[in-house]
This record gives sequence, structure tokens and C-alpha cells, in this order.
Amino acid sequence: MNALPATGRLTPGALLRPPYARPAAWVFGTLLGLLVVLPALEVSIDQTLIRATPFILTGLAVALPARAGLINVGGEGQLLLGAVGATGVGLALPDTLSPVATLPLLALGGALGGLVWAGIAAGLYVGARTNEVIVTLLLNFVAVSVVAYVVHGPWRDPDSASFPYTADFGAGGTVPLLPGGTAHAGLLVALVAAVGVWLVMGRTRWGFRARVVGGNKEAGRRSGFNVSRTLVIALVAGGALAGLAGAIEVVAVEGRLRPAVAVGFGYIGFLASWLVGHRPLAVVGAGLALAAISVSGDNLQIDAGLPSTTVYILMAVVVMAVLGLRRRAGRQG
Amino acid sequence: MSRPKVRHLIAVAIAFALAATLIACGGDEESGAEGQTTIGFLYVGPRDDFGYNQAAFAGSQAVAEAFPDAEVLQAENVPETAEAERVMENMIDDGATIIFPTSFGHLEPALNVARKYPDVTFLHQGGLDTAENVGTYFGTIWQAQYAAGVAAGMATESNRLGFVGGFPIAQVLLNVNAYELGARSVNPDVTTSIVFTSNWCDPAKQAAATNSLIDQGADVITQHQDCTNTVIETAARRGAKVTGYHFDASRVAPEAWLTGAAWSWGPLYVDAVRTIEAGGFEGSKYDGRYRSGLGEAVQLTPFGGAATPEIRERVEAAAAEIRSGELEPFTGPIRDQGGRVRIPGPQPSVEELEETDYLVEGVTGEIPG
Repeated sequence: MNALPATGRLTPGALLRPPYARPAAWVFGTLLGLLVVLPALEVSIDQTLIRATPFILTGLAVALPARAGLINVGGEGQLLLGAVGATGVGLALPDTLSPVATLPLLALGGALGGLVWAGIAAGLYVGARTNEVIVTLLLNFVAVSVVAYVVHGPWRDPDSASFPYTADFGAGGTVPLLPGGTAHAGLLVALVAAVGVWLVMGRTRWGFRARVVGGNKEAGRRSGFNVSRTLVIALVAGGALAGLAGAIEVVAVEGRLRPAVAVGFGYIGFLASWLVGHRPLAVVGAGLALAAISVSGDNLQIDAGLPSTTVYILMAVVVMAVLGLRRRAGRQG
Repeated sequence: MSRPKVRHLIAVAIAFALAATLIACGGDEESGAEGQTTIGFLYVGPRDDFGYNQAAFAGSQAVAEAFPDAEVLQAENVPETAEAERVMENMIDDGATIIFPTSFGHLEPALNVARKYPDVTFLHQGGLDTAENVGTYFGTIWQAQYAAGVAAGMATESNRLGFVGGFPIAQVLLNVNAYELGARSVNPDVTTSIVFTSNWCDPAKQAAATNSLIDQGADVITQHQDCTNTVIETAARRGAKVTGYHFDASRVAPEAWLTGAAWSWGPLYVDAVRTIEAGGFEGSKYDGRYRSGLGEAVQLTPFGGAATPEIRERVEAAAAEIRSGELEPFTGPIRDQGGRVRIPGPQPSVEELEETDYLVEGVTGEIPG
């Protein structure tokens, strides 16, 4: 299980399967840390939970394909296409429909958007043997242009002369809130998704197959698994999760599609997944921790007068601390 | 396998400890004593972008100087999304009673927050919509772009000017048109090529756009971008001359610099704060859609190494005529690219100009979408 060579050098393979036996440690440590630090920083708990939702979902979008041996750098683009998909559904649905019907349809639209976007990379991977890292990464930039196209072009709010955004499709007010706060219930979706990915990877035949293929494609092939199909499913399922994050952002946070929606969230989700060795439950902890840092950026600026980029320094410190400690662990193990 | 729990706790603890330390280091600037004003500024980009945001930040510094007892809160890189609402509410929690959301797209978030906090006054930069406690101000910077166009029209040898635009919104089209009109007023053969980057600050796209304009023969480059240094650097490296935008970035390329259209927000911000402080916002010029002119919030930057004495003279003369009202750049007949007369007679009102949706003849390039 411990993929780090005795020298402790960080090889790509080692990064893929780091020696984390206990994801619970991350979750536990993070929650403890948040409990101590959040009140001290006056960081809003609600805002942290809201921000953690896309981080967790895009983190899972990386974790799931990673267990099958694919590196999905496209969470950002898949999130954006999810936002586009949900917006498309939102604009098409009549206002009179009850939220019970609307919200699942919006989520479905988002998941489909992300799925299709990841599907392009998956199709190219199995069809043309292109590198999924490059394709998913580059598709992020195309996704930004797709969003720009729809908000400047066909879906532009007819009531807005100068602002490039779509009409408010009015679902925001119908999103249920978490009990006792102002945070929307999207976090529950993310938690269910994390448990779902954990169950699928660890408890189902497909999950086993995916892990075998991720460990050694040839072994998977010789065991009679349909390797291509497994990989495609892993990548598009990841894309669907990121797309769901996009749907939640436009529906529950923004209420309409804007060009700057959720900028960079997909990359932070990527970080969240790598931090915890792609363990679905631990992604929740990493997502919460990164969300707390991200939200604290406002306070750092407004109260302490620090530049906004301080947030990135903090995130980098977390990554380097974890990588450094992981390296030491490799030497010992 | 050593105990992962301890390791992870250490990692998390280090990060959080650092965050707490940073807050502590930043000094205890909790919302101050009674009667002390707190003013919040939001920027869409970094405050040192040699452009839009740096110009606004410089204005906030003027406010801090003019009101030494006031507390000035800053937030940069605030996206034009619901995030901006959160930042503004955060500032209001810290006691802010005057907020300057300085980006175009901060308007809708500001209107949303303004509804919740009727006692807070919002001064938005560059918009069209207002509310009871939201005013929006801007400046007719196209007047300065016209004067900069005069410099470009005289400096060019190829008779081709290059314009790196962001999005094809009215403000940008107005600047492109003014630039071409200014250049043509001194050089009837000059054309301006426009490239839209579909972005306000993407250095890679800016460099690509600048290079392609120069490859097409342009030898004077200007722009309408938020961050301006990449276009200036790239143009100067390729031997082209530049006129600046938003901010005096002449030190990026002192020898290639002709002049530039720039903001001087300080006096406007200070006056607006003073007006609001005195309880006079309602009915003041800031309570609505205020537009400041050339010589006020809109300025020409000092001339650079590329500006010959003849250029300086002509540009200064044009600027003086615009200030006095003698010269109105958009006096008809003004034709669009297709030859259709868009402005037949005298210069339309500022409000009408801010609805510009065409490019004047002499501009090469299309409005996308």
C-alpha cells in the first residue's frame, strides 16, 4: 500500500497512492483545528460550509478517477459546464414549477454538463490515446470561453444592457438551508456524494475493478475487465460530481450565470484531493480546511490589511507541510 | 506506517497557527472609537495592476490622507459575483458606513446589499443604475482618449494604430472611436485596428493581441484593459510606441510612452466622502449618475520620451479645447464602419454616448457576438 520508495523521493506514482491509512485522521484533525481557529479568526461558519461544498465535490471529481489511475485536472471546466447545464435547465423551466421538481432537474442539468465535458476527455483518452492530464486541463480554458459565449451571446439577460450575465432564474429562494444557519443545504449533497464515492470504490464490484485497473491496467485486462469502459465511467462520473458543484453554485449562491462564477474552485478541489491521497471521506476534511482558509482571506484583508494573495500562501503552507511530512513518513516506512 | 493522526494534526495546526499569527501581525484594527468613520473599498483585481485597480487604490489612499481619523478597509481581487456581497457585508460588520465598490460588475451585488442596509451609502464606479443609497460616478475618459489619439496620429509612421480592448461594451467602443477620431484629426490617413481579448486582465492574451497588432503593421499601441503593463512592455519590446490607459504606467516603458488617459480619483472620492459625512448625499451630484470630465477625475498623464515637442503642443491644445468645451470630439457627421451616419449634428449627451454600439469609420475589426 505504501507506494513511496525507501529513499522518500516523490515520484508521480507515489503521489497517486500515498501512505494514508486513516482518512479519519484528516477529518478529525481538521474539525479540531476549525473548532479552535474559526472563532478566533471571526470566520463565518456558514460561509465556510458554503465554500466547502464546491471544494469537496470537485475534490471527489479528482479522487474518483484517480483511484482508477486517471488524473483529472478538469474539475474547473467540468464545474463551469455544470453551471452552464444547470443554467440552461433553469432558463428553460417554467417559473410555476414547484421547487421539488425544479431542484433535482437543475442538479441533473449540472451533472450532465460536467459529465459531457469529462466525456470529451474520456473519449479522446480511449479513442485517440491522448493524455487525460493535458486534455482535461486544456478543456478548462475552453469551458471559460463557453461560459463567456453564453453570457455574452444567446443567454444574456435581455433586461441588462451592459452586464454580461444570464437572467436570474429565480431558484435561489427555494433552496433549502441547513438547520440553524444561513448556509444552503448543498453541503449535504457533497457529504452524500463523498459517502457514495467511498461506498462505490470500497464496497462494490465496479469499485474493485476500478482500483485494479488503477493499480495495473495490464492486470485488469488479463482479469477480463473492460478497462476502457471502466476508465470512461470513472472519468465521466468525476465530471458529473464537478458539474453538480457548478449547479449548486449558480442555483444556490449566484442565482444566475456570470462569467466569474466559481473561478478557481476546481483547482482548489484538485488540491483537496491530492492533499489526502484521493480518499473520498478525507476529501471532506480537506475541503472544509481549504474553505476555512479561503473564507478567512476576507478577514485577513479587511481586518488585518494583508494582501488577498495571503490566502494562497496559507494554502501553499498546508500543501508543503503535508508533502514534507509525507516524505518523512516514506523514509521511515 | 507511522501514526498518521499526529502528522496530520501537526500539518493542520501549523497552517492554522500561521493564519492566526498573520491576523495578529496585521495589527489590531478593530472597528474604532465612536464617531469614527469607516470606509470600505473593493477592487476587482490586485491594487498594483498598473491600471484600473491601482488608480482606484490611489484614490483610496487620498481618502486615508484626507481623513486621518477614518478607518479605510481594503479588499482586492473581489470577483463580480455574490462573493462581493459577502465582502461588503463583512465590511459593514466592521462598521463601514460608506462603501466604494469600484468595479463595473460590483453594481448588482452593491444594489443587493444596499437594500439590506439603508444606512450605508454606496458609491459605485462606472455604472448606470442607482438606488436610494447607491450612487454611481464615472468620468468621460474618452475625452482623454481623443487627446491621446492626437498623439498617436502624429507619432505613427505606418498610419496604423493598435487597440487592445477587453469586451465590446459601450465604454470600450467609445474609447476606440474617440482614439481614432483624435488620430484622424491630425492625420486623415490613419486607421485603428481593434482586438478584443474577452478579458480585462489576461497577460497571455494581451501579449498575443499586442504582437498580432504589431505584426499587422501597427506602430502605436493603446488599450482598454484593467492591468496595463503587459501590453506596454510587449509593445515597447517590439519597438512600438504606446499611449497608456487608467494609470500613469510610464515607468514601465519611459522611452516608448507618448501620453495616456488616466484617472485621478482622489479629489472625487474625498469630496464624495465629505458630502456624505456632512449628511448631504441625498440630492447631491453623487446621488445619481455623476460623470466627471477631463481635467477633473479624467487626466492626461505626463508626456513620455516618445512625445516630441510638436506632439506635446498639439495634444495640450486639443485637451485645452475639450476642457473649455470648444472642441466636442463626437460632433457630426460621424459615420460608422459601414458608412452610415450615426451622429449627424452636434455631440450627443454623455448618456447617449454611453450607449454606443458601433465603431466609427477608420476602425478595422469587428464587434464580436
